[in-house]
Amino acid sequence: MSKPIILSMKNVSVHFPVKGALPFSKKRVVSAVSDVSVDIFQGETFGIVGESGCGKSTLANAMIGLVRPTSGEVLFKGNKLYSLSPQEFKEIRRDMQMIFQDPFSSLNPRFNVYQIISEPMKIRGGASVDEMKKRVIELLELVGLSEKDLYRYPSDFSGGQRQRIGIARAIILNPDFLVCDEPVSALDVSVHAQILNLLMELQEKLKMTYVFISHNLAVVKSICDHMVVMYLGNVMESGSTKAIYQHPLHPYTNALLSAVLDVDLDNKKERILLQGDIPSPINPPRGCRFYQRCPYAMKGCVDKKPALIEIEPEHFVACHYINPFAQEEINAGLAKPLNL
Amino acid sequence: MKSFMNGLKEMLSGIWGFIRKLWRHPKGRIGLIIVILLVVCALFAPWIAPYDPYDVTQRAQKGLSPSFQHLLGTTITTGQDIFSMLIYGTRVSLTIGVVTGVSLAFLGALMGICAGYIGGFADTLIMRIVDVLLVIPTLPLTIVLTNLFGRSYLMIILIFTLFGWTGLARVIRSLVLVLKNANYVKAAELAGASRWHIMMKHILPGTSHLLIMSTALTSAGIMVAEAGLSFLGLGDPTAISWGKMLAEAQSGGALLFGHWWWIIAPGIGIFLAVFSFMRIGLVMEEVFNPKMKQSSNIYKLFKNLNNTYIEEVFSSMSEAQILGVGGEQS
Amino acid sequence: MKDLMLKVRNLKVIFPNQMGVLKAVEGIDFDIPKGKCVAIVGESGCGKSVTSLAVMKLLNSPPAMVRVDELVLDGADLKDYTDQMMQEVRGKQISMIFQDAMTALNPVMTIGKQIDEVFIRHGKMDKGEARIATIKALELVGVPEPKSRANQFPHQLSGGMRQRVLIAMAFACMPKLIIADEPTTALDVTIQAQVLDVLSDMQKKHEVSLLLITHDLSVVANMADTIYVMYSGKIVEKAKVRELFLHPHHPYTIGLLGSIPKLSDEVHKFVQIPDAVPHPMFKPTGCYFHPRCSHSTLKCSQVMPPLKTLLNGREIRCFHPQNVVDFEEVAHE
Repeated sequence: MSKPIILSMKNVSVHFPVKGALPFSKKRVVSAVSDVSVDIFQGETFGIVGESGCGKSTLANAMIGLVRPTSGEVLFKGNKLYSLSPQEFKEIRRDMQMIFQDPFSSLNPRFNVYQIISEPMKIRGGASVDEMKKRVIELLELVGLSEKDLYRYPSDFSGGQRQRIGIARAIILNPDFLVCDEPVSALDVSVHAQILNLLMELQEKLKMTYVFISHNLAVVKSICDHMVVMYLGNVMESGSTKAIYQHPLHPYTNALLSAVLDVDLDNKKERILLQGDIPSPINPPRGCRFYQRCPYAMKGCVDKKPALIEIEPEHFVACHYINPFAQEEINAGLAKPLNL
Repeated sequence: MKSFMNGLKEMLSGIWGFIRKLWRHPKGRIGLIIVILLVVCALFAPWIAPYDPYDVTQRAQKGLSPSFQHLLGTTITTGQDIFSMLIYGTRVSLTIGVVTGVSLAFLGALMGICAGYIGGFADTLIMRIVDVLLVIPTLPLTIVLTNLFGRSYLMIILIFTLFGWTGLARVIRSLVLVLKNANYVKAAELAGASRWHIMMKHILPGTSHLLIMSTALTSAGIMVAEAGLSFLGLGDPTAISWGKMLAEAQSGGALLFGHWWWIIAPGIGIFLAVFSFMRIGLVMEEVFNPKMKQSSNIYKLFKNLNNTYIEEVFSSMSEAQILGVGGEQS
Repeated sequence: MKDLMLKVRNLKVIFPNQMGVLKAVEGIDFDIPKGKCVAIVGESGCGKSVTSLAVMKLLNSPPAMVRVDELVLDGADLKDYTDQMMQEVRGKQISMIFQDAMTALNPVMTIGKQIDEVFIRHGKMDKGEARIATIKALELVGVPEPKSRANQFPHQLSGGMRQRVLIAMAFACMPKLIIADEPTTALDVTIQAQVLDVLSDMQKKHEVSLLLITHDLSVVANMADTIYVMYSGKIVEKAKVRELFLHPHHPYTIGLLGSIPKLSDEVHKFVQIPDAVPHPMFKPTGCYFHPRCSHSTLKCSQVMPPLKTLLNGREIRCFHPQNVVDFEEVAHE
C-alpha cells in the first residue's frame, strides 16, 4: 500500500448514443462502462478481465484519453486528465501509450519500420534525424529485432515480429504508463510466451506501469498484481490478484475460472457452465447485471444494484449473495431464489 | 513550406511508382503508350498537323478523298484537312478529360475526407449536399447552363466538376471512416499528433490509390460526355473537337456522299482516348487489389507448369524418400 | 481396418506460384476410428486447415495441387470421385463446422429454414416434418426457445448461438464424419466452454467421428481421443491425449504445452519457443523445427527425421525425443 497511485478513476461512466431506427425515435445509449472506480499503483501490472462486450477496452481507452468519459474523473499523476488544456493534455498523454491487440491493423502498411517507430518522436519534434535513427535502432535491439530490419515493411514480418515493432513504437517516448490491450491473443500460441516475457523484461528495465487487458485468466494470474473482473460495464470483483485467485467469491469470477480449459488431465474439476449469453449493453439490467446468468440469483438482484464492498483486505466484491441483504430486505422477500 | 515541399516530393515519387507499375503490366503498357501518343499529338499539334485545320478558305480542296496530300481527305463543306482536325481535336478531348478528372478527384477527396475525418456537422452538411446533387440530372442542366452562360469549355469543365464529385466523395468518405479507426491512427493520436498530421500522413495516402484510379476512369467518362455534348452542338463553337467533327460530318453530308473516313476518324480518336484511360484505370484496380491479379495470373501459371519439376517436388515430400536418406545416414 | 471411418495416406498439397512452390501439406497419414474424436493441432501455416479442405476435396485446382494415395471414407475410396459424386458425399456423409458462423450461414434466410433444407434434402422429409425435426435439433444443441428462434435470422443471434446452429446443421443429416475447423476460436471463454460441451455431447450421443482442427491444445484436452501435432506441413507427433499431455516426446509439443499458462502455475516467467514458424515458401533444411529446437544437433539441420512408430502406437518425427519411458523402435511398415 506504500506504492504511490499513478492513475485513478473516480466513478467513470462511458455511454455511447445509438441512433434509433426512425429519425425521431427515442435515443438509446449503450453504457459501455458505468460507474467504475479504480486505483492503479506505480510500477505494478493492473489486470482487466472480462469477456467481449464487458467494456474492458473502453475502460482502457478512457484511461489514456482516447474516449472521453460521459461522467467521472480520471486522475493521472494527480492531474485531472479531462480538465487540462489541449496542450497540457497532449503533453501529459505522451507518458501513456498503448499496445494493440491486432498487430496487422496497428502498423500502417505504407510505412517502413523506421517510419513507424520514429513517428511519435517526429510528432513531438526536437530531434534530429540521426538521433531518431540511433534511438530506433536501440529500440529495435531492445525488442529483439535488428538494425537490418530498419527499412523493411510490415508485410515482411510475422505477427510476433509486428507486435515487437508495435511495442518499440509504444516505448520510444519513454512512457511510464502502458496499456496492453490483449497483446498476444492474435498471435500464434508458440509466440505468446516470447511477447509476454519481452513485456515483463521491459517493465523491469524501464519501470513502467502496465494495464493488462486479457480474457486469459491464467496469464493474468501470473503477471498482474491487482485486477478487476468486469461484466457488462460493471466491476464484479476487484482487488489483489493473489486474494482473488486464492479465494474467488463472485459467481461470475468462479464461472470464468472454471471455464479456463486446463490441460491438467488428472485433477478434473467440476465445471460451472453458465447459462445463456452476455446480454446486450443497450438497456442492461437495472439491478445486478449478472443476475440473468447467475446460478444464485435472488429476487432482490433484479432491482437492487449490489455495491462493491471490501470483504477482506484488498478484495472487493459486488454481489448480494456474498454481501447478504439487510434484515428488513430479507423480510421483504428479496433473498428468495429467483426462478427464471 | 518545407513540409509542403516534402509532401509534393512524396506525391511525385508516388506517381512515378504508379507509372512504373503500369509499364510492367502488359495491359497497362498498351494504355500508357496510347496516352503518351495522344499527349504528344496534343502538345505538338501545330508541328504534326500538315495543314491549318482552321483554314476554311480552301474552296478548291472541298470534299477530297484520302490521298498522300490529305491523309484523311478534306471536309465537303469547307475543305478543311480532316487529319489535321483530328490531331487538333486531341487537345480539346484530353484537356477536358484530364482537367475534369483531376479537379473531380481533388474535390471528391477534399469533401470525402472532410466528411469522414472531421465528422459531425461537416459530415451531415456534405452528405446532404451529395444527396441533393445526386438527383439533379446533369445533361439537361448542362444544356440550360451553357445556353445561359455561353458555350465555353471552361463551362463544361466547371459543370462536370461541380456535379460529378458526389460519387467519389461517398466512396472516399467510407474508406476514411475505416482508416480513421485503424490502430495506427490511434497510436499517432496517443503520441500527440495533430489532425493535420494524421490527415496528411495516414488518411490521404490511404486513399491515394482510389483517387488515381478514379481520375483515370472519370477522365474517360468525361471524354465521352464531351464528345456527346459537342455533337449536340453544346461545345465551344470556335474550337475543333472530335464531337464537333462528328456533328459536322453528319450535317455536311458525309453519309450522303459516302465519305466514311470523315466519320470514322473522330470515332477512332474518341475510342483510343477512352480505351487507353479505361485500360489504365482497370489495371490500377488490378494492381491495388492483389486478389484480382492473382486469379488472372494463376491460370496462366498452371498452363505453363513444369511437370517434371512438380513431380520432383511431390516425390521429395514422400516418407520413403526421407527414410531412405535417413537410413543411409544413421 | 474395418473400424476406420477415415483413412488418409500420403496426402500432399502444394500451391505453385510465381515465386516457386508453396508446400502446404507434405505427405501426411492419419486415421479416424469410428465414433472417435481425432484432433489435428498446429499453429497458423502448419497446413491443418488445408488438410481438412483436402479431405472434403474442396481445394480448387488452380491454385492448389493435391496428391493422395488413399482417401477412404467408410470403405469407399474418395480418391477418384468426381465433383458431382463428392457433392453427394459432402452433404450426406461428411459435414463441416466452420470457425466463422456468420459467413457459413445464409444471412437472408431464417435459421429454421436453413436447417429445414438439410432435412428435406437428405432426410427425404416434407416441410412440416422437417420443421419438427429442426426444432428438436435446436433443442438438442441447447438453443433456448427453439420454436421462436427458428424464425430468426443469423444476425439476430449471438456468436455462441450461431455456433450451436452450425452444430445442429452439421448433425442434421446424420453424417458419418464431421470436420470442425476451429469451432470455438471466435468465442468468449464462458461461451467456448458451453459450445465445446454441446459438441462433445452430440458427438458421443450420435457416435459420429469427429475431426477437430485447432491451434488450442487446451480445447483438445477435453475432447479428443488421439492427437496429431502438425508443424510446417508434416506430422511431428501422434499420441493418445493422455500420453501426449503427460509425456510429450517432440520438443515442439513440449514447447507448445509449456507455452500454455496454467492456473496452477506460480511462475512469473513463461516457457518460450524462440523465433517463429517458418514461412511455408522458405522452410529450413533437415528437420523443420531444428532452428527453434534446444536439442538440435548437426544431423537435425541436415536430414529430415523419419516418422517412427513406437511400441505403444505413438508416432514421432524426431532424432532426439524427450521424456521417452518405453522407447523401443518398431520397424516402419
